[in-house]
This record gives sequence, structure tokens and C-alpha cells, in this order.
Amino acid sequence: MKNVIEALSHWELLEIEKPARYLGGEVNQAPLKENPELRVCLVFPDLYELGMSNLAIKIFYESLNARPNIQAERAFAPWPDFENILRRKNLPLYGLESGMPLKDFDAIFVTLPYEMTFTNVLNILDLAGIPLTWKDRTAGPLVIAGGPSASNPLPVARFMDAVMIGDGEEAILELCDRLLEAKRAKASISETRKSLLNVEGVWVPQFPAAVRRRVYKGFADSEPPLKPVIPNVQAIHNRAPLEIFRGCMKGCRFCNAGYYYRPKRERPVQDLVSYATRLLQNTGEESLGLLSLSTSDYCRLDELIRGLDKEKLYPEQSVSIPSMRMNENTIALLDSTPHIRKGGLTFAPEAGTQRLRNVINKNVTEDDIISVMKATGGSDYRTVKLYFMMGLPFETDTDLEGIVDLVYRLEDIGRQTKPRKQISISLSGFVPKPFTPFQWAEQADIAELRRKRIIVCRGLDSSKSRVSWREEYLCLLESVLSRGDERIGELIEAAFKNGCKFDGWHEHFSREKWEAAFVQTGIQPADYLKSRPVSAPLPWDFIDFQVPRAFLEKEYQLAAQAAEGDQS
Amino acid sequence: MTANDKNCSNEEIKVRVTYSKTCQARYIAHLDTIDVICKALRRLQLPYSVTQGCHVRPKISFGAPLPLGHASYCEYFVLSLNKPVDASWLQESLNREFPHGMTVLQVEIPFSDKKTANIGEQLSYRFIFSESSTADDSMQYLLDENTMFSVERKGQTRDYQIKHAVIAVRKIEHAGNPALEAEFIQGQADVPSVSKIVTALAAHLGDRKDHLRLIERISLCELTQKTGDSC
Repeated sequence: MKNVIEALSHWELLEIEKPARYLGGEVNQAPLKENPELRVCLVFPDLYELGMSNLAIKIFYESLNARPNIQAERAFAPWPDFENILRRKNLPLYGLESGMPLKDFDAIFVTLPYEMTFTNVLNILDLAGIPLTWKDRTAGPLVIAGGPSASNPLPVARFMDAVMIGDGEEAILELCDRLLEAKRAKASISETRKSLLNVEGVWVPQFPAAVRRRVYKGFADSEPPLKPVIPNVQAIHNRAPLEIFRGCMKGCRFCNAGYYYRPKRERPVQDLVSYATRLLQNTGEESLGLLSLSTSDYCRLDELIRGLDKEKLYPEQSVSIPSMRMNENTIALLDSTPHIRKGGLTFAPEAGTQRLRNVINKNVTEDDIISVMKATGGSDYRTVKLYFMMGLPFETDTDLEGIVDLVYRLEDIGRQTKPRKQISISLSGFVPKPFTPFQWAEQADIAELRRKRIIVCRGLDSSKSRVSWREEYLCLLESVLSRGDERIGELIEAAFKNGCKFDGWHEHFSREKWEAAFVQTGIQPADYLKSRPVSAPLPWDFIDFQVPRAFLEKEYQLAAQAAEGDQS
Repeated sequence: MTANDKNCSNEEIKVRVTYSKTCQARYIAHLDTIDVICKALRRLQLPYSVTQGCHVRPKISFGAPLPLGHASYCEYFVLSLNKPVDASWLQESLNREFPHGMTVLQVEIPFSDKKTANIGEQLSYRFIFSESSTADDSMQYLLDENTMFSVERKGQTRDYQIKHAVIAVRKIEHAGNPALEAEFIQGQADVPSVSKIVTALAAHLGDRKDHLRLIERISLCELTQKTGDSC
């Protein structure tokens, strides 16, 4: 079958929600090349609207399609309505550009942005007719994963021919070079996998060896994707994304991204202004999104905003800054330009007391938080969203009561501003992540997380703020999936076979099916949730994360000292 | 030429752009189509007028939503410019910026947008089939004065008589396929929309609805109070 899309009837497409998700043909889509030497498909294991907002997909799509002998296409997880049609008609999942079945590609690059997409990856492979495990694959495309949730590759090792650890820009091109050589030499799948070992940052489950996280040293001087595909269905982030810097050196002790993307590399202001102009000319997006882990930490942010203001292309052009720290830079930013999109402000104090913020190394003081809230007074922002975590290491009930106190104080300030600020609070259980100082910490169990949540929610009973929280079982599951070993692959496969998919979506998540998978595989969640001795080896120790283990140990000790010091 | 150009007159020039929506573009929903068009206008940096208020937007109006999946050769939008542009340049430029399946057919500059009371629309459709017998059955369904169907909405059922909407139907051959050409009226009291009629026809055909392969809107004329039949 050459083009699966042609096998879909008008009436079948009308059965599903937003059929344009599955049809391609968007502006800036890469033209099909005649007989490219290598065909690869970039797979995002969630819905089109989310995948089309993903920066990694945009970066790889442009860089791969710039190579004359490579054709890169896209595929996303089909929503169950469309999956039903594919299964009913026995049609395989396909690349959006050509409609070619995934199993006919040379390689499939899967980005893993969060753990809750793992079952979707298996569903995609299954829909494509590709065997789920690398051991069962003797031909067909290689399945290669990357992304923050693959920083510990062991839970997905069972399914992957290779895993890219760290920045992918250079690695993906080198991988394609190896794949091309192997294809020309008509190498076996095993020989091809072996050839990938000499790409820095690539780990091959069939030939496990020590691996070093890849760092893209040329990031600051590199050109970002400037002609991304413009979705035909409005994406979750409807903006032109411009990554202004990568990495963060603030050292929050819970943050995997903070360590995964190290070191901090800033693109120069003048380059960014020029990139922004070209990006907007090529996309026509109303809003330019300045992306990074913490945009207010860009060292010349004021200059950048002024530069962007000068180069405005159209009247409704605005800037959106999705990630801001509660500090002086943010206050200055709120005052600097009227063209910043005035939706809502989102901040993450993470903890309710200074003691616990010191423990987690969240370098934000209570004064900072109060000052930022006051600074929003003169702005048009109407909503302020605050993220807090519960179950953090060394947390006490006093810290939870601290969240309550802080929210009431911020509400008082919000009431005095015009327009009045609506505060919303998002609570989530802390999940210890590999390659962070808290990788050895205990994950609070469901009962404990619930008890903590009730303390906060009851405390906020008479509050006007909206309070939402993440289901405790999801935190537990994420913890197992992120700090897992190779056995967790069996768990993921069992969960998939039980019908799990779109686990990050409330309407599809099934706790019963996951619990059944634990029983079927004999895996005890508690084994993965308990604290681990610092002296004991960790399953992911074979990865040189370019952050020494000794440093993480020291940071963990500092957290403990911060907890004890302030309690005395 | 940019939208920020200060050397513009205060007088707005209206432009009507007629475009087709075929191939996979016919599955782009109405609001997403608006988004796609607005982004194309921005990429061209057209000197368009913008709305007042705190959320500035291009001054643009669109025709009635095209039902999802219907192809069309008569979609349009009316845009206000604060500087004249060349019609053929605009047509070529927009065609470069539109997604696959959307093509500008005509640009009218200046467009005289005289407001008259709209009393509905007259539409011409083409239905393309893979089976001649299904085309025959469909023609009979559309022309039968007794054809009625019900639509349930918000827990209420409403009955429609198809004869109020259908003006004419004839069988033709189109690119080697059996087809029907049909004229409808919609937008008037108790007259079902073409979208509802097509849904009812599909329900009538049952499994044979797959023989109805393509639904194309060929033309749309607004019926005004003044003329009664402006088409």
C-alpha cells in the first residue's frame, strides 16, 4: 500500500473528531523528494495538537529535510476514534507527508517528552505493524527514542533499537549517516544497531555500554527552526516558538530538565531579533513565544524585548513568555512593553515555606513572591497561576500549612489590585527523577500524598482561589516509570496489552489496568518508590550525565543540612 | 509594503477573496480555516485594517461556515485594507501561502459591500458517486415531495420536509462518474440546511453511503430582501 490516506473514505473521516489531524498538507510541509536515500519518520506519541507544538519535532524536521538525500515525515498518536477506523479497516499508521506506512520507513525517531506517553509508543508500533520489542525485530525500521523521559533509557530499553541521551541536533544527523552507510552496505539489523554505538550520546540496548549524555556545544550559534509546519488544527501552543537559551544553572534539586539541558547556552540578542523576524515572516503567528526553562533568566531580556518591539511586522504581533521566575527581572518585564501577551501569569514557587524552598534550592524568597504579586497590580493580567509540590524530601506539615498561608497573603494583595487577580493553585505530588540530587529520595505513597493534599485543600476552604491537583496514582506511576529498570518495560507492555493508552489524559487513564499490569508482571511499586541508599549503585549509573554523581550526592547532603539547619 | 506602514489613507478598501477548498483542505474546520487565512495574511504583511479594542485582529469577515468535508468552489472572505494592492499580485501571493487544497479563484478590489437584508442562500451542489444506482436512489430521495427527516438537538426532535429546500436535481456524468447536480435554498425558516440534508441522505443510503464519494459546493448566492433572488 503506497498511500494509506487514500484508503480512508469521506464518511470515515467524518466519523472522527478533527480529521485534519491525520491528513497533512499544511503550509511549510516538506515537499516529497524523488527517491530519497533514507526515509525517516518523526513520531510524537501524543495528539497532533501537542506534537505540533513540540520544539524537538520542529528542529529535527527542518534539519533532516535540509539534507537532499533524506525525507523526514511526521506521525502522531491517533485519538481512539481514528485508531478504531485504522484497526477496523486493518490499515497501518502512516507518515503524514506521503501516507506511507511507518513500517516502510528506514527509521522511526520517537520523542519522549513525558513518561505518560510510553504506552502510546507501543500503540503506535502496534498500529504500524512493527514488532514491539527490539528482539522481535529482524527487519523494518529501526525504532530510536530520545527526549527528557529517555534520560534513563532502561524502562523503554525493551522496545528501542537505540536511545539518544541528551541534545539531539547533531546526534540525529550522525545517526542518519550511520543508517545510510548500513543501508548501502545492506547490513543486517543487528549490524546496523552496532554501527550506531559510535555516535556520542547513543545507547543501544542490544549492545549495552557506558554512554555519555550528548551536549550540543554549538547551540548558541545555531539557527533555530525558522520555517516550521503550520498546523491545520490549532495547536495547543498557538505561537511561533523561539528557543532563546537552553539549560538552566539555578540548580533546583528536583528538576530533571535543569540537569538534562545543562549547561546554559544563550543565543545572542541580535541573532534572536533576526530569527524572530524570519520566523514570523514564515509562520504568520500572532504571538512569538520566547522559550527556555526560565525566560526571565535570559541575561539581556530587556534588550531583546525592545529589539523585538522595534522590528514589529504586523499590528497584532505580541510576545508570549511562558516560563518566568519570580524575581526582579520579571517585575521589570511586566513593566517593559505593552506587547507582551496578557493572558495569565504562571509561576512555580513549588514550596510554601522558605525552609523548604531552601531545601529544594528554589532560589525564590517570600519577598520575591510578594513583590511579583504586587507588581502585577499595574498590569492587565487577570489570572495568576501558582504551582506547588507536595511530598518533597524533608517536607513537614508546617510546609504544607505554609502553602495555605502564602496563598491567603497573595489573595490579599490580589484583592487590592485593579483588575483584581484571580489566583489558581495547582498541586502535584513530587516525583523523584534520575540525575537530580533527589534521585535517591523516597516517593510519598498515595495515602501520604492524599493526606498532604487534604491539609492544603482544607486550609484553603475559605479561599477564593481555584485549587486543582494531580491524581496521586499518576505521581506514583510516573515515579516507577522514570526511576525504573529494564523490568519496567514488561510492565509498560502489560499495561498496553491491558488497553492503556493516552495515560496523560484524564478521560483515558485507567488505574485498574495499570494495577492489573503490576499484578501480571509481579512488579511491586513499593520497590521503586522507596528511598535508595546513596552508597548503592543506581540502575542508570552507566550514563555519564556530565553532572558528576559526587555533585548530586553533595547537593542531596546540602538539602538535608538545609532542612536540619532551619529546624533548629 | 507592511501593515505598519504609516503612509496610508484613512479610507478603507474592501477586498473580496473567493477561494476553493478541496482535497484534504475540506477537512479543515471553519475556525481553523479562519486561523489559516489570518496567518497567510500576516505572512504577506498586507496593509490590512485592524479591529479596535485590546485584542487587535485583522478586519475581516467570512462567509457562512462550510460543513466539514464538503468541497467548495465559492468560499470567500472580505478584508479591509488601508492601502490598495494589485488584485493579481494578491491572488498569486495568497495561493503561495495557502495550504494544499485551498486556492484563490478571484480577487475583487475594490469590493462594494452593500448591506442588504439577507433572506437566505441559494446553493448549487454536485454529488459524485461511484455507483449509478445509488445516484438514482439519491435523486429520488431528494426529489420526493414526501421525504422527511428528523434531527435531534439538545434533547428535542425537529422534523424537516426536504421539499422546502430542494429546487432542482439532475443526473449528470462528471469525469466519468455518475453525479447529481442539485440546487438548494437554505437559511430560511423551516428549511433544512444542505448539511442536514446530506446527513439525512447518508442515513437513508446506509452502507451504500460510501458510494457518495464527494460533495462539492459549486456556487452560493445570497438572497436579499430587495431582489428576492439575487443570483
